[in-house]
Amino acid sequence: MTRPTLQDDPTLLVHAYLDGELDPINALAVEQRLASDAVLAAEYERVQALQQVIRERLPREVPPPGLRARVEAAVRPQPRWRPAGQPSWRALAASILVTAFVASGSTWMALAPRPADQVGGAIVAGHIRSLMAPQPIDIASSDRHTVKPWFNGRIPQAPRVVDLAKDDFPLVGGRLDVVGRIPVPTLVYRHAKHLISLTAVPASGSANSPLVVHRVEGYNVLRWIDDGVAYWAMSDMSAADLDRFAQLFRTASSDQ
Amino acid sequence: MNVVTIHGDRQVSYDKPASGDRPRDASHSIPRTGKSGDAVRGDDENTRFASLVLPHLGEAYSLARWLTGNRTDAEDVVQDACLRAFRATGSFAGGSARAWVLTIVRHSSYAWLRKNRPTALVVVEDLEAVESAQANPGDPDAETPESELIAKTEAAHLEAAISALPAPFRETLVLRDVQGLDYREIAEVTGVPMGTVMSRLARARRRLIATLGRSQP
Repeated sequence: MTRPTLQDDPTLLVHAYLDGELDPINALAVEQRLASDAVLAAEYERVQALQQVIRERLPREVPPPGLRARVEAAVRPQPRWRPAGQPSWRALAASILVTAFVASGSTWMALAPRPADQVGGAIVAGHIRSLMAPQPIDIASSDRHTVKPWFNGRIPQAPRVVDLAKDDFPLVGGRLDVVGRIPVPTLVYRHAKHLISLTAVPASGSANSPLVVHRVEGYNVLRWIDDGVAYWAMSDMSAADLDRFAQLFRTASSDQ
Repeated sequence: MNVVTIHGDRQVSYDKPASGDRPRDASHSIPRTGKSGDAVRGDDENTRFASLVLPHLGEAYSLARWLTGNRTDAEDVVQDACLRAFRATGSFAGGSARAWVLTIVRHSSYAWLRKNRPTALVVVEDLEAVESAQANPGDPDAETPESELIAKTEAAHLEAAISALPAPFRETLVLRDVQGLDYREIAEVTGVPMGTVMSRLARARRRLIATLGRSQP
């Protein structure tokens, strides 16, 4: 199955262009065609407006709080308490309660400040893995108004995203990493040829903390806490540059 | 039933004829899906399940909600899908865990709809008719509103317009524009070739745009 070409149905390629699905040669061809074809340009405008209104205005569906516990209860190893077809709802209710208790405990443990090297190890692993993958990011965009909404709907709280392009740290995109069993947002910034992974781990209840320097497997890692979020910044660039990045991120405004 | 190899709408089978009552709570839906002994697994399966499936629970719920149109139903579907995923963790062959989970959620959603709301799926059965009726791109009689008008759409209106799309168009649009999957992942989840994903997506957007232009309050 081959993809349509520009000759078959140019409008499909306009959609693919807006979705970031085209290789550079086809993207260039679409751009040239858009410049001279008013019908295609109108389609481009409409689809872009639609995507934007979906992104910005459509309410995100957040799972109800009990769903995770319910799912974990359903797959938890259980004794064979059900000889005939009908289940004992008492046994089931009890197992859900126990599971909810256990699950809430494990959630707390995952979210509470862990030994820093343990979290740091997971985050550095995510950074290294991303450098080996074809794409270090799941969502590629230099526009923080695209990157931040991408996280909505995937995780309960989108991270703070700031624009540092004027300070020579342009945003490259974002991805999800998993620390413990919790998906956490990672922003990827670039400085010269170096990529910086900035992971935000919930740390509610923790007081703001200054920059702490770690060195993990040859990577410079900086950690700090702002507003109940522990930030982990890591890169192979110099410690001084990473420090400058962290200072800029902490002081930059996330509105406009 | 091997959920991993399911592709396309037509191969989604269902277990029983439609029954009137909708199981709403866990005490009904667990035995419905969990065959005796299924849940008796070792720690390995649980660990694997926790790392493969649980990170995608939010997206699973979102897709189920858009496919069933109802939050309560979505919860049941997600639970059913998670049980299927749990039983199939051993057969996950790598690749995108997210696409794998959403494939199972999609399958569970349609199985659930067939069982509980067969009428909601008429459009899926008539998919070919829908596609051929739409053979001409761009709906000749559809209005084509300006992008400024689209940008003014209210959330409730937008949600209703997406919900009104026929299932094959709705799922493609939701997977792309709400959940952010790329074309390859959508092809994997919906079990159709990439070219079909592209044409469905374009048609879904054109229908949506026409609806938004026509009935803006």
